[in-house]
Amino acid sequence: MTVFRAFLRVLNKGKATIILYTIILIFFGIFNMQTSENSTNFVASKPDILIINQDKEEGITKNLMDYLKENSQIVEIKEEEQAIDDALFYRDVNYIVYIPKNYRQDFLAGKNPEIQIKSTGDYQASFAQMMLERYIKVANSYQNNIKEETQLIQKINETLAKQTEVEITSQLDTDHLSKATFYYNFANYSLLAGCVFVICLVLASFKDYKITKRTMVSSMSYQEFNRKLLLSNCLFAVVLWIFYGLLSLVLIGEVMFSIHGLIYLVNSFVFTLCAVTIAFLIGNLIQNKNAINGIVNVVALGSCFLCGAFVPMDWLPDYVLKIAHILPSYYYIKNNEWIKELETINYETLKPIFQNLIIILLFASLFVFMTNMISKRKQKT
Amino acid sequence: MFIHNFKYTLKALFRNKMLIFWTYLFPIILGTFFNLAFSNIENSEKLEIIKIAIVENDKLKSNTIFQEAFETLSDEENEDRLFSTQYVSEEEAKQLLQNNEIIGYMILEEEPKIIIQSSGINETILKYVTEEIMQNTKMINELAENEIQAEIAIGNISIDYHKIYQNVRETIQQEEANIKNIAKSNLSYTMIEFYTLIAMSCLYGGILGMVAINQKLANMSDNGKRVSIAPTKKGKVVLSSLLAGYIAQIIGLAILFAYTILVLKVDFGTNLPLILLLGIVGSLAGLTMGLAIGTVVKANEGLKTGILISVTMLGSFLSGMMGITMKYIIDKNLPILNQINPANMITDGFYALYYYDTLDRFYFNLVSLLLFSGIMLIISYTSLRRQKYDSI
Repeated sequence: MTVFRAFLRVLNKGKATIILYTIILIFFGIFNMQTSENSTNFVASKPDILIINQDKEEGITKNLMDYLKENSQIVEIKEEEQAIDDALFYRDVNYIVYIPKNYRQDFLAGKNPEIQIKSTGDYQASFAQMMLERYIKVANSYQNNIKEETQLIQKINETLAKQTEVEITSQLDTDHLSKATFYYNFANYSLLAGCVFVICLVLASFKDYKITKRTMVSSMSYQEFNRKLLLSNCLFAVVLWIFYGLLSLVLIGEVMFSIHGLIYLVNSFVFTLCAVTIAFLIGNLIQNKNAINGIVNVVALGSCFLCGAFVPMDWLPDYVLKIAHILPSYYYIKNNEWIKELETINYETLKPIFQNLIIILLFASLFVFMTNMISKRKQKT
Repeated sequence: MFIHNFKYTLKALFRNKMLIFWTYLFPIILGTFFNLAFSNIENSEKLEIIKIAIVENDKLKSNTIFQEAFETLSDEENEDRLFSTQYVSEEEAKQLLQNNEIIGYMILEEEPKIIIQSSGINETILKYVTEEIMQNTKMINELAENEIQAEIAIGNISIDYHKIYQNVRETIQQEEANIKNIAKSNLSYTMIEFYTLIAMSCLYGGILGMVAINQKLANMSDNGKRVSIAPTKKGKVVLSSLLAGYIAQIIGLAILFAYTILVLKVDFGTNLPLILLLGIVGSLAGLTMGLAIGTVVKANEGLKTGILISVTMLGSFLSGMMGITMKYIIDKNLPILNQINPANMITDGFYALYYYDTLDRFYFNLVSLLLFSGIMLIISYTSLRRQKYDSI
């Protein structure tokens, strides 16, 4: 109990940092929650566009605008050149269409007037460009034959209204599962940083020269002392895991009460165990309390950036993912990504997830082994 | 005395390993992480070749428009290639879809039908292109019909249906949309991350000045007590310590600049003198902020450092370090918050140099930084002068 009480006292000192990690997790968790409602019907992707019309909003000009508005998301931006350029740079808008003065007149005269655009060049912008081109091509084709404007507009709209039937095969609640994966990927940071910070702090505090002397002369055997310390640290890690698990139930909701949710929890539990062993290894390596913060940041941020906790794995360069194979976080995050796409749950589909869990546990045993080697060598000297 | 104090302050700063780690090494490590994680984001956001399948059936074989359209769009030599297409049976297509080898497949019955796994941009494009082909078919038929009617009306009896059909098809295919992209070319938004990194480093550097001053304050260290009773003008001591802190800061910044430009290939734009000027002025803002926190806050060094780091991190956060969107949200909805945020002044200054052709916005940020530094200096001055201690 004495050891545990001392542990709690050290923990109390480090509580601000733990709270900070948790706040970061909650903040980014919620930040990412504002996505659209999921549905198992087809929902067309709509690029964010802005139309700046310098012509009168009539006739063919209005019809072009209506077509773009219907197939994309119109973004509200102040009509100032700087505000517009900023919006384009920060991808608030993907595609900006400038309809020139006298567009309607020039178009009806068959001049095929130039339309200026600003494009971010990403896939949304490419899609917006496809739409604009589509409209202009259809309009031009009919314009050669039909001279009367209302008739022309009617024809254009009739043609563009032709739709294809779409069938969706997946019944997965991908939207909520993506949120869960994002949350648990991010938890990689909070769990790892939290465990390493607290455990290093505790170990460093107990390693203080005077305190070591006092514990050595106490009636408690060093084995018992170590066991209690280990137990307290594990207890802390488990409490942290339970807390983040409960938090995910609140933040993500429903989906967490399914089998998918259970696998997320199991996966993060195994990773928490691994984080504890990493923390013990680092705690044994360092002596200086001041160095803890630096090491926590480098270790936690490093594995998060390299393994795709912050930036999705799909977006990382291949060589980074190759390097990431040497870190346990990679397997943890890979699992989260797999759970998201898990359609049917059976032995065959769960196999790769189990494999990754085993790899994480192997990492954990490796870290335990290394810790033992180091402390053994230290005892000798 | 000035040079003596300057020299030893500098030496003391460089001997402080933790300090050097946080001000020199940490930004470089973070920059490396940024580079590893962000270097591919913008490429991943470009439209990639979409993998699809088309079910090969009799309907498809008899429909040349569909066949040819998908062939052109899947042609490897076509610049506007969209798809990588496999022609398979329906069973195979289902299997491919289930294995995630394709995003969806098209089957041509009376009307074309698209089968996909879930909604998304690639799926939308497949749907859109299929519709485009249907629309073209409709257009070709209608316009050809018109032509034929016209021919009949003028009494032509030997109508070459095939030729009319072919002509209409060609005219439609040759229609070009007259679109011109006038966007600026420097659109790489991940650069903001590296600008916030420089901003963070400039402000973090304030720790150096703060530690240097703490060594000269009687209520902070024994060294400070000795210095305070020495028959030297306080101004001299403070100024030489500050200068030492500033020099240490500039060296760190120079290393970071060299690393980001030469190794990480960060694009700061082309105006090198202004880039460096912004770095130097940004460091001054960091230095004066460190000085102000060091002199106004009456607490131990740990707490002072904590406050400085918190202010820096909060500023970096608001200027987009943990998510570039954050900067935009603040700039758009609460611009005043970022106009008083020194981290954002530095970030926004670099952004202005990189993205805009005019320098108004850059100079606005530069002047804001100078004003900020001036205010910090005044605060420090009022708190430093005529300091007396009843008891230490």
